[in-house]
Formats: sequence, C-alpha cells, structure tokens
Amino acid sequence: MSLAAETHGFLSPTGVEIAFLLVGLVTFGAALVTVTTKQLVHAALWLVVALGGLAVEYLLLTAEFIAWVQVLIYVGSVVVLLLFGLMLTKAPIGRSPDADSGNRWAALGVAVAAAAALVWVVVDAFRATWIDLDGPAAGSTDATGASLFQNWVLPFEALSVLLLAALVGAIVLSRKAKTGVSQPTAGKADTGPVTAGRTQASQATPGKTSASQGTAGKADREGTP
Amino acid sequence: MNDALDVAWRLLIIFVVFLTFPLIVGQTEHKVMAHMQGRLGPMYAGGFHGWAQLVADGVKFAQKEDVVPAGADRRIFQLAPAVALLPYLLVLLAIPIGPSKGAVGEVIDAGVFFVLAVMGVGVLGSLMAGWASANKFSLLGGLRTAAQLLAYELPMLLTAASVAMAAGTVSIPGILDAFRWWWLPWQIVGAIVFFVAGLAELQRPPFDMPVADSEIIFGAYTEYTGLRFALFLLAEYAGIVVLCGLTTVLFLGGWHGPWGADGLGWVWTLLKTAVLAFIVIWLRVTYPRLREDQLQKLSWTLLVPLSLAQIALTGIVKVVIQ
Amino acid sequence: MSRPSPGHRPATTPSGRPRLSIPGSGLAKGLAVTLRTMTKKTVTEQYPDAQPDLPPRTRGVIGLFEENCTVCMLCARECPDWCIYIDSHKETVPPAAPGGRERSRNVLDRFAIDFSLCMYCGICIEVCPFDALFWSPEFEYAETDIRDLTHERDKLREWMWTVPAPPALDPGAEEPKEIAAARKTAEKLAAAQAEPKEGES
Repeated sequence: MSLAAETHGFLSPTGVEIAFLLVGLVTFGAALVTVTTKQLVHAALWLVVALGGLAVEYLLLTAEFIAWVQVLIYVGSVVVLLLFGLMLTKAPIGRSPDADSGNRWAALGVAVAAAAALVWVVVDAFRATWIDLDGPAAGSTDATGASLFQNWVLPFEALSVLLLAALVGAIVLSRKAKTGVSQPTAGKADTGPVTAGRTQASQATPGKTSASQGTAGKADREGTP
Repeated sequence: MNDALDVAWRLLIIFVVFLTFPLIVGQTEHKVMAHMQGRLGPMYAGGFHGWAQLVADGVKFAQKEDVVPAGADRRIFQLAPAVALLPYLLVLLAIPIGPSKGAVGEVIDAGVFFVLAVMGVGVLGSLMAGWASANKFSLLGGLRTAAQLLAYELPMLLTAASVAMAAGTVSIPGILDAFRWWWLPWQIVGAIVFFVAGLAELQRPPFDMPVADSEIIFGAYTEYTGLRFALFLLAEYAGIVVLCGLTTVLFLGGWHGPWGADGLGWVWTLLKTAVLAFIVIWLRVTYPRLREDQLQKLSWTLLVPLSLAQIALTGIVKVVIQ
Repeated sequence: MSRPSPGHRPATTPSGRPRLSIPGSGLAKGLAVTLRTMTKKTVTEQYPDAQPDLPPRTRGVIGLFEENCTVCMLCARECPDWCIYIDSHKETVPPAAPGGRERSRNVLDRFAIDFSLCMYCGICIEVCPFDALFWSPEFEYAETDIRDLTHERDKLREWMWTVPAPPALDPGAEEPKEIAAARKTAEKLAAAQAEPKEGES
C-alpha cells in the first residue's frame, strides 16, 4: 500500500472504485435479504451471494488469497453445512410462518452497534490509504503469508487454540448426546445448528492428532479474515 | 485493444474446450464401458462407431419439455444447473497446459485455492436442486451430497496443501515450474488421496451414493428433464476433465515428460489427463457403489489420516533437503 | 451365444486354506478383469446389420407343412389358448381301381395361427401325428396392427422353407426310430430273400 492519497480526490471515481461500491451495495442488499426473508433456504442462498460479494470486494482490494479462502471456507463449506442442517429440519418450500424472532429489534441494535464499531476501526486504521494497483499486489499470497507469520503470529496461534477448543467442545457434546438418556428433541429453530454441530463433531472424531492438525490447517485458512 | 482481443481469444478457446472435452470423455466412457462389459456401445449416430451419440443426446435433451414440478421452488430449481456447471468453466481458466505464458487461461496467484474453492461451489448446485425439487428422493440426494462434500473436501485440501508446501507456492504454474521427477514417488500418496477424494466430490461411481439411481432415482436430479438435466450431466463430465487436469498439473508434473520438453509440453498434459480420465471410467466399470457409511468411513478413517501423513512427510523432506 | 466367463479364481486354495492376500489385491484383480474383458472380442450381435446366429431349435415361429396335414384337428384342440383356426371340407376321391369304393378325404381350406395369442408353447408341434407343424427360427414378423398377426396358411407354408434341417445326433446316440424300423425291415427282407436260396441249394 502506498500513501498516495494526495493524487486521489475523495470522489474521483475510477472503474475499480465504482465496481467496489456497486458490489458493496449488492453485498449489503443480499445481507439484508438474508436476515429478513422468511424462506429459510433462500436466506442461506442469499448468504452465499453476500459472502461471494465479500470475496469480490477482497479481490478488488487485491487480496486474492483471502478472497479465494473466503469462497473456499464460507461458500464452499459453511453454507453447505448450513444447507445440510436446514435440510434436516422441516423447513418448508415457501414461507415459514414462524421465522420471525421476537427480539429482532434487539438484534438490529446489536448488528448496528457491531457494524459501527467495525467501520470505525477500519476507518481509523486506514484513513485515506490508497492501494497502488499498478505495483505488485499488496495482498498476494506471499505478502499475506509474510505478514501473518511475522507480525501476526500471536493472534494466529490464539485463533488456532480457539478453534481447537471449539472442536474439542464439539466432540465432548457429541459424546454426551450418545450416552445421554434421550436424544435432544430440539425445536424447529435450533434443530439445524445442533444437528450440524453433531455431524461435524462426529466426523472429527477419528483421532486426536488429525483433529488438532485439522484445526491448525483450518486456522491457517481462516485466521486472516 | 490487443489485450481485449487476447482475452476474448482465450475465453473462446476455454469455452470450446469446456464444450468439447466433456463430450469426448463422455463418448469415451460410452465405448470403454461397453467394451469392458463385452458390448459394443453406440454404433449408429454419426456413422462411424457412433461418434456423434452425445450430440444426438444433446439434440434429444433440447427437444424435451422443460418441466418444473408444481410444488418446487421455481427460481432455485431453475437456477441450480447453472450453479452446478459454471464453476467448472471457471476452474478450466486456471489450468495451464503448457509452459509458455499463452498456455493458461489466466495466471492466478493463489491458483490452488482458486480451483478448490470454485469446485466446492459447484456442489451448491446439487444442494439447491435437491432442496428445491420438493421430492423426498431429491432431498435425500442433497443431504448425501452435502455429507459427502464435507467429508472429502478436507483430504483434497490437505493433499493440495502438501504439494503447495513442496513447491513453496500456491500458484499452479509456480508448482509446475518447481516440479522434479522425484516428486512423483514423494507425493504419490497425496496424489491418490487427491484423486479419490475428487472422484467422491464429483459423485462418480463407486462414490455415487448421492445419485444412486437404483435406490434414490438419481438423487437431486430426480425431477429434472431436458436441457437442465443435460446441464447437470455436462457438469459431471466437465468435473471429470477438471479433476483429471488438476491431478495432472498438481501431482503428475503437467507438461514435464521424459521427452519433447520444448514445444510439446501440452501433449504431455493432455496425455496424462486422458489417461486419468480413462482410469475414472475404469473405476466406474469395475467397482460396486460404496454404502453411505462406508463412504464416510473411507474418508475420515483412511483418506484424512493418509493426507495428514503426506503433509508430515512433505514437511520432513522439505526441511531435510533445505 | 455362450460367452466365455472372465477368469474368476476362488478366494481359497483347493485345499481350503484362504489365500494370503496383500491388501488391495482384490481391487487390483477387479481392475484386471475389466481390462481383460475390454481387450477381448465383444459378444454383441449387431442384429439389423448382421443376422443373429440362432440355435436350430429356436422357437421363432410355427411353420406348416400343409402337404402332411390331414385336418385331424389335434393341434387346434390341444392349443391352450385356441389360436389355431382350421376350416376344411370333405371331398370324395374316385376309386383308385375300377369297381372299388369311393374314398372321402379331408381338404384343408384354411389354416391360420393367431400369433398375438400364441404363447409359443409348442404343444401343437408336439401333438401333430403327421409332422405337419415345425418350429422355424424366423422371428421378423412384427406387424403394426394386432389383427395382422393372424397368419394364414400360405404364410405358414412360406415359413416352412426357413425350417432348418434337424441337427445331427449326438455321437453314440440311439439311432432314430425311422431308420431303426427301416433297417429292421430291410434285414427281414434280406433274410427272407436269403432263406429260399438256402432251401434251393
């Protein structure tokens, strides 16, 4: 990144910037539809659009590696897991009448607060930094890897431990469900996540080494965004 | 202007490859499978040994009525074939067939991640189809598809990561530049795991439980007819081309070969891809379908540990030779 | 028609001990079987281009050798689904020798088999005492209308030409009754001719 702000006006739209804005709008719209639509599977598919839009934004910011990891992890795996969970529920084709949550206003408040915090952090961190598109890509795999393992090793390792903890937790939960008195008869709303979590956990049981290394690998891919 | 022409030219070539190679693989499958079963296969369409059978099939599919079930989720149902097919077109962009700069659709910095990410997206098409068909068999097919993807994506990624570690880069031309012949024995376990996991991700026999036609009637595609069904089939065969091409460039050294290094590298790539495609067909003819639990077991208890062992081996050798 | 079966080797040795196998050898064997089959000649018969090589006793269609038919009606009565139609009338034949008695004879007017009903059981052929009905390997007699499947005597007579010669007997088989009977007669005749000679001398 180069500090070349003086050569750019605040509103001097080049093609890339216009594309960035438009994709951002599409992503935002898709995200809105994701949380407001009453058709559960549609929500998951709109989530694909939103996550894909994010990947395109990363691409436009020259962060190619992160963009593809975003597609790989979120679109390719997380949404598939989500759909897998949804298929196990009684989600109807068409509207689910009880898809509304009572505390949506609270949720909106939390979302707006989180968004505000993130926007503030990003704006404060980068101010008017411009990415030099003509030079070597600032977000190439080389650059990302170097900065990740030189400057950000500690957060990276912390994330790995976090994910490992989540994995072990999932295994423990699934063990309990196996020996417990009865299978949890969860309501409609949380059948999906519970089952999905159980599946993931039961799939992750083969051995401790594979589990922990798998987590490290996952963190390798997931840590950066 | 010249650049635009160049890009258009490349896209056109990729598109033609995308439309012809899967058909060639499909036709080969017709004939090879037939002969492996002591039959002749198609003999009439086009005159010479039925070479135009798949063209005729395409014409037939195009003529059929496009039916959307009344209870289906119309939009998603109609969109699903495109979602299943397009990723493979994109992946073809990133597979280099020769050492020169002109022999790849587009050089992508994180090529390995690109191809794996985009291939994973293709499965969304099957999931959408399975859910939107409003059919129990389709739903079962979709569920099995999802479970299979989750199980086999991991070994595929791990083995690809092993090659990337060996080469010290995640760009596909970069990996090929770093390739030496002794990588073949070094990465052979990874290659086999990658290939098998890829087959499973494509739902090719013997890993075709999600589409098992004799028990869940082609799974997610039960309700599809005509052109949309043809698109799903095309996606399967495009998937074979992509998987074989990927295995070639990642593990078998792509354009490297014992002879004819200069100028004829693309022949090596195509040859290796063709041999792998033959193996895909061969496996389909030979083995019976794996049961769903066997499928999961194979991945989690065999392929994942093997790929982790491969990564460990790659790391050790890498450290030693440095 | 018989196809050579790909070499299957049993999993145990003849003495009953299981073969020592390296893991995956079964998979490799499977691959070998399919590959070997691929290099062999296919067994497909390209029917419309090449006529199939049918065994001589193929039950294709029933041919009528009407010269042998005496309108005894046995076939029509034995037919389980009544698909044989026979019409006839009696004719008087003038006496063979002058002053002899006139004979009456059955003349066949119509002999038809409805092949939409026929179930190819072959009882009519078995039951015919005069060898007037035969199996023919001919099978290309599909029609576009089910009523056209009732084939009349001229058609059935035509099919008679497609009836193959009876296959040769197995080596060591009992000789056919006709030949045995003929030979017995011939021997008797020869003996009868030889006896008077002996008496003469």
